[in-house]
Amino acid sequence: MSSISELYDVTWEEMRDKLRKWREENFRNSEQIVDVGEELINEHASKLGDDIWIIYEQVMIAALDCSRDDLAWSCLQELKRQFPDSHRVKRLAGMRLEALERYEDANKLYDSILQDDPTNTAARKRKISILRAQGKSSEAIRELNEYLEQFVGDQEAWHELSELYINEHDYAKAAFCLEELMMTNPHNHLYCEQYGEVKYTQGGLENLELARKYFAQALKLNNRNMRALFGLYMSASHVAASPKVSAKVKKDNVKYAAWAASQISRAYQMAGRGKKENKCSVKAVEEMLESMQITMS
Amino acid sequence: MHEDDSGVTKKRTLQLPSMSVPLSSHEMGEVELSCLAYAKMYLHASQFPRCSVNGLLLSSSAAGGAVCITDCVPLLHTHLSLAPITQLALTQVDVWCSQTQQRIVGYYQANACASDSSPTPCALKIAEKIFEQCNNAVLLMIDGEKMFPGCRVPPIVMYERKDARWALKDKHTIMLRQWEETCSIVNQLFSSGDQALLVDFDSHLDDITKDWTNQKLNAKIMELVSPANGNV
Repeated sequence: MSSISELYDVTWEEMRDKLRKWREENFRNSEQIVDVGEELINEHASKLGDDIWIIYEQVMIAALDCSRDDLAWSCLQELKRQFPDSHRVKRLAGMRLEALERYEDANKLYDSILQDDPTNTAARKRKISILRAQGKSSEAIRELNEYLEQFVGDQEAWHELSELYINEHDYAKAAFCLEELMMTNPHNHLYCEQYGEVKYTQGGLENLELARKYFAQALKLNNRNMRALFGLYMSASHVAASPKVSAKVKKDNVKYAAWAASQISRAYQMAGRGKKENKCSVKAVEEMLESMQITMS
Repeated sequence: MHEDDSGVTKKRTLQLPSMSVPLSSHEMGEVELSCLAYAKMYLHASQFPRCSVNGLLLSSSAAGGAVCITDCVPLLHTHLSLAPITQLALTQVDVWCSQTQQRIVGYYQANACASDSSPTPCALKIAEKIFEQCNNAVLLMIDGEKMFPGCRVPPIVMYERKDARWALKDKHTIMLRQWEETCSIVNQLFSSGDQALLVDFDSHLDDITKDWTNQKLNAKIMELVSPANGNV
């Protein structure tokens, strides 16, 4: 079996830089990280200098994701040897126990970290992740809410909470979390679009109009967001079709829907250019747009 | 799969060797799951191990009699319970089905939490919608705990509509043709790396040049299906 460097014709420096990029952008492409990282560690450890410790951490977490306990264990041993009293390493040991589904042991480890350092957010978040893994959604939600009272700026936590609420069909609370996220990240089109989806799901005329506005906002921030485009089309169509709206509102929404439809059409035409396999999806969209137009007029 | 003296290969059912259950009442409808449908569902669940995934089950055979699930369309791996994208996907698949003489006959879901394969409210809701159009619709839950290499039992739990609720289907009425061959085909897809070809509707929305009808992958799977046994 040939090595990564042979297969892709890359140097060890390029492999190291790739790992850094994945680390900085928080990618979870664990299989790739394991492939590249394992080779780097085995063949080029001496050249990596102090980078090696953060690479051990990154590879260990990826190894847990891929059920490679052998690799995770050896990375952990190196880290323990170098940083014997570190809370950060202890947390990694806890994550390994989680991967082995030894949740009680993992919790004990995290509790010992918190006894030493009650402000250790990483340990608290791992405990919440355990609740989630065990399917204890309401407890996870409760703990996460308590956590956010103390650490109100933690974006990752707000997003995790919004996901939990969506799973529990508590759309009002999910919307609240997304509102927090939109306030602190006004340029993030994904939060706007998700908020639109939640509002649409809640239903009712007011929510549909709100949904439409947020889909439009998402498109302003990123005009290639297809979910926002479809969302705009669908929410505007529903508002226009509602018997409760004034003639002006109806007219405006028909206009918005028509605009969205033409953008969708254009996007699919461009995507379908020269690619035979896309013909099916292009045709499906065209027919859908046609059929929805008929019901609206 | 086994051959009898005449050299004709018999299809394997999920029947335990010692029991033979007579197919009595018409409510106990038979459901047949093709290799193509099974393979793609399995690949979908494997592609997103940390997410709940879902999709639609399709049939290209006429209504009435046994339900033959001949294909599936993988739909989502995010926000299964949010309405807009689900509605969009259902509409588009509906349109595609009418263009290709197929019908939506069921729904599948694999929960993120592998130890819990019970249908979620979202699964029941969508299955209900499908039942409105297809009165022998099936709800299929993938059992994550049985998705390990070498597992001899299909990781599937099926429900059917009975007495206004979704009830567990009798295992003896579910047929997977050529089960061992299906398993080997799935393994081959993983070893050749072709499992990465699978596109679900969510991925299509991230990049609309990707084909959610999976023509390429379908062709690869059909190539692997043994031609001697006719259509699967």
